[in-house]
Amino acid sequence: MHKIKSSQRFVLFVVFGFILFLLSNRVDELRVYQGATAAVFVIAISSIILLTGYSGQVSLGHGALMAIGAYSAAVAHNELHFSILVSFFIAVLASAFGGALLGIAAARLSGPYLAGTTLALAIGLPSLANQFHVLGGEQGLAFDVGSPPPRLGSEFTQYKWYFWIAALAALIAIWLLSNVLGSRYGRNWRAGRSNEVAAALLGINTARSKILAFTLSAGLAGLAGAVLAMIIGTVSPSAFPLALSFSLLTGAVLAGISTLSGVMIGAVVLVSIPELADAVANRIGSSEKITTNLPGFMVSALLIVTVLFLPNGPVEHHRERKAKKAAKKAL
Amino acid sequence: MFTLINTILIGITAGSIYTLMALAIVLVWRSTRVINFAQAGMALLSTYIGYEAIARTHSFWIALFIAMLGGALFAAIIELVFMRLLLKRSTSGPIAAVAPIIATLGVLGVIRSVIAALWGGADVRIIAPVSNFGFTIGKEVLVFSPLKLLILITVVILVLLLTLLFQKTNIGLALRASAYSPEIARLSGIRVDLVRTLGWSLAGAGGAVAGMFQTVNGNGTFSPDSIEFSLLLVSGFIAAVIGGLESLIGAVIGGVILGLVISFVLIYISGSLFFLAPFLVLLTVLIIRPQGIMGVKAARRA
Amino acid sequence: MKAMNRRKLISVSAVLAVASLTATAVPAQAAEVGVSTSEIKLGMTLPMTGTASLGYNKIPGAAKAYFDYLNANGGVNGRKITLIVKDDRYVPTEAVAKTNELILKDKVMALLAPLGTANVKAVASSVNPAKRGVPVLFVNTGFSGFADVKKYPTTYAILPSYIMEAKIMGKYIAENFAGKKIGLLYQDDDFGSDALAGFKTAGVNFAVKVAYASGSQGAAAAAGWITKFKAAEADVVILFGVSSATSAMLGTAAVLKYAPQWMLGSVGGDATTIKLTGVPAGVLYNAIGFSPVPATTDMNDEYVKLFSDIYAKAVPGSAFDLNVLLGMNSAFMTAQALKAAGTNPTRKSLMAVLNTQGATLANSALSPVGYSGTSHVGLTGYWVGKYSPTGDLAPLGGTYVTYTTDSGAGAVVKSTYKRPAMPAKGLPN
Repeated sequence: MHKIKSSQRFVLFVVFGFILFLLSNRVDELRVYQGATAAVFVIAISSIILLTGYSGQVSLGHGALMAIGAYSAAVAHNELHFSILVSFFIAVLASAFGGALLGIAAARLSGPYLAGTTLALAIGLPSLANQFHVLGGEQGLAFDVGSPPPRLGSEFTQYKWYFWIAALAALIAIWLLSNVLGSRYGRNWRAGRSNEVAAALLGINTARSKILAFTLSAGLAGLAGAVLAMIIGTVSPSAFPLALSFSLLTGAVLAGISTLSGVMIGAVVLVSIPELADAVANRIGSSEKITTNLPGFMVSALLIVTVLFLPNGPVEHHRERKAKKAAKKAL
Repeated sequence: MFTLINTILIGITAGSIYTLMALAIVLVWRSTRVINFAQAGMALLSTYIGYEAIARTHSFWIALFIAMLGGALFAAIIELVFMRLLLKRSTSGPIAAVAPIIATLGVLGVIRSVIAALWGGADVRIIAPVSNFGFTIGKEVLVFSPLKLLILITVVILVLLLTLLFQKTNIGLALRASAYSPEIARLSGIRVDLVRTLGWSLAGAGGAVAGMFQTVNGNGTFSPDSIEFSLLLVSGFIAAVIGGLESLIGAVIGGVILGLVISFVLIYISGSLFFLAPFLVLLTVLIIRPQGIMGVKAARRA
Repeated sequence: MKAMNRRKLISVSAVLAVASLTATAVPAQAAEVGVSTSEIKLGMTLPMTGTASLGYNKIPGAAKAYFDYLNANGGVNGRKITLIVKDDRYVPTEAVAKTNELILKDKVMALLAPLGTANVKAVASSVNPAKRGVPVLFVNTGFSGFADVKKYPTTYAILPSYIMEAKIMGKYIAENFAGKKIGLLYQDDDFGSDALAGFKTAGVNFAVKVAYASGSQGAAAAAGWITKFKAAEADVVILFGVSSATSAMLGTAAVLKYAPQWMLGSVGGDATTIKLTGVPAGVLYNAIGFSPVPATTDMNDEYVKLFSDIYAKAVPGSAFDLNVLLGMNSAFMTAQALKAAGTNPTRKSLMAVLNTQGATLANSALSPVGYSGTSHVGLTGYWVGKYSPTGDLAPLGGTYVTYTTDSGAGAVVKSTYKRPAMPAKGLPN
């Protein structure tokens, strides 16, 4: 694997950000909105890739960590009157703290036990919102980051504003994460993942390394939650169902769980699949029984096909094929 | 006094159904190291098979048998054509930890949508084979009925049969050996692949019983989006994890503990904590014993 | 029989042919989004799959059944109405995504009957139909806040609020069950807390209150609730929950031979729905029930008769229940408002009609909607009934007597509303 210097990486991100900026002025409002949602998924999926792909831990409860971030941001903004930027930071810190606690428990647990614990968390945590008045119950809290600044012009839509914020948050998050993954910590995680005993012999504190991964991953999830809350303007328990945690895993697998480079693919697929499925269902246009259930069927079938035929994601698949070809040529 | 007795009875009956689901999950875990999230979906499909069978045979017991057969067959097919391919393709790297979860979730989604497309979303109904009217002591009606007694007895018999199968027969030995170390088992001439399929089939049959009983224990109606079935999915898995995933007795203990805790929390504290309680139970158990109540330490590395 | 069907077919196609001729002869000016010369597009998002979809997934079929009947009879001024339905699985994020598709891609004229307070709030704040001028007609929730014109200027509530219902129940309790021990089953969220607020205003003191978490209402939970009500020796038990909770409770009560005086809230009190889940009719007998619209089994009511006939033909084999009646009623009101909005209806003219003539639009409900320039409060009243030995709700004393109130501290009074007669054949006039 060739190495990118961190200065080169920075330039890469700036260029990509500029392309996104140009793109946001070209496409219609629906696509801009979907782009903002995709940015949320980019952040959330990268948090799964960090946790599972690098540190080898499984979480079925990232929806709950997103909820912690979303609620913290809303409470910080509405009740404590912090600015949006500070609220986002608080969201990251609060989720990271929750993630650290979970990580301490997780460091003792192996795969299925951790999966069980995080699943139970995903089911149990959102119901807390109904126990505390400040969390707004089932209808939730409003989270209003305000209109775009007037100097951007009257044609500048709210969704474009959300997209700019979300895309910027995603770019910064991914840039930071890719730097961390390229550092000593990233290597420690990979070492611990492939062989815990060997890693421990090399002097890596695997438990601490795992807890750190969980904390960082949760912080990213919290950011994703806060950005999601901004886009849908509210925070409520029903926005963080178990299905959300599952779809993040799905996105990570579609992206290729062991590498960050496919994260965009996962996010775009997650956002576009329901619309595509709806379109196909309408094209076929048979009985209501079929059209209602076709989207669910297609998403699930896609999942199965992906894990069967592209288990390491499209990017890794492409890389492997290239490597094989190169190897053949060398022979 | 009656409140306490009823609380315990509610917990044990609910727990016995969780146990069946947990047993199914443990059987699959032991045979293939896969947490089968599709288990509740497979139970739902089996229950629809049972429903169709009742419509034709007019007998709950024949229908239950057909549902078990159907469930076992379906599980075997999933294992044969699907899980086998999956486990061959993603055995290494981080994907190995999540591929089975994703795959079984995919299967769950496919089953749900196919069922809804075939049978529609409306409730269908199964009539219980025996009365569900509570036993009476003096003027007090207990939350325990001939049907619930029957469920308990069936669960006990199934657990005993499974234990016998595992401890006393060659098949059981093969099942245990393949779970413990597939490589050694293969070297000693055990057809590991066949044994795995058998593990899935047993689980499929167990899930069918859980689905049928869960349905008649409620109002007797169910649909692709039944609340009762989504509760089965979660509680069965949590019960299995509490119990330690490796042991049949663990699944029983996990199921009953979960049933009792939910029942006590519901009646003595608040129904609001229904979904938080399992998390707290699970966390408490795993903090004390990270490998579950009956789990073995070595299993942590698996 | 066959000949008659054919004759009907011929007459219908003749009407359609004439309608399409007039439509082409006088090209209407299509100056509004979602309104063309031949059709008006409406959009709906609601849970079609998932546990939250139980019962509610019949609403689109019901609304479509009425629109199809209307389209076959000439539509609205020659335009047929197309309803585009999307599944939001009861998740606010999905409701926002699907509503964006409806408004920005499918370009619907208005949104119809969205469901769930959290979803509608998220859509109001993110998609912002108010800023876009898109009407959100007949929101299917009892949350009183959507009547607030300042906050939700283009949103129209339809169901009476949970607070109103609890207040009306409270009055009945004070008059009939004074001194009895009252128990309450409620959902542990805003649905329940609104109810608690209403009961508090009405001065009801509970001997026992049992909360349940939404999604937990299975048989095991119901056995637990009954144990609590029994321990508190409640004489009257109010079930203020969703249908699945009422069914679980009554079904379990039947096998435990637990029979207090039941009182059923309208959300979960529809007899047809309850009986379809296997609850024996006898358990419902003598329970007190409340509803804003006529009983779904009341075939003497002209609306119920017409709607159930239309529905039986459109969706054979599906039971005509409260959700179906409410869905068809919303479709019916939409059609009338569109008709009144002029030959070339616009979003603005549609809302102007609702604001000025909303209260006089014919519909099946037994209290008027309270639309005006300053309030978008929907229905405001309930009638009180008793369930018959066959488990059907019928008004006390045989005639519908509606009580009306507000979501604040206002008194509960008998309504003087006389429902206007149904327009001929149930078509907008």
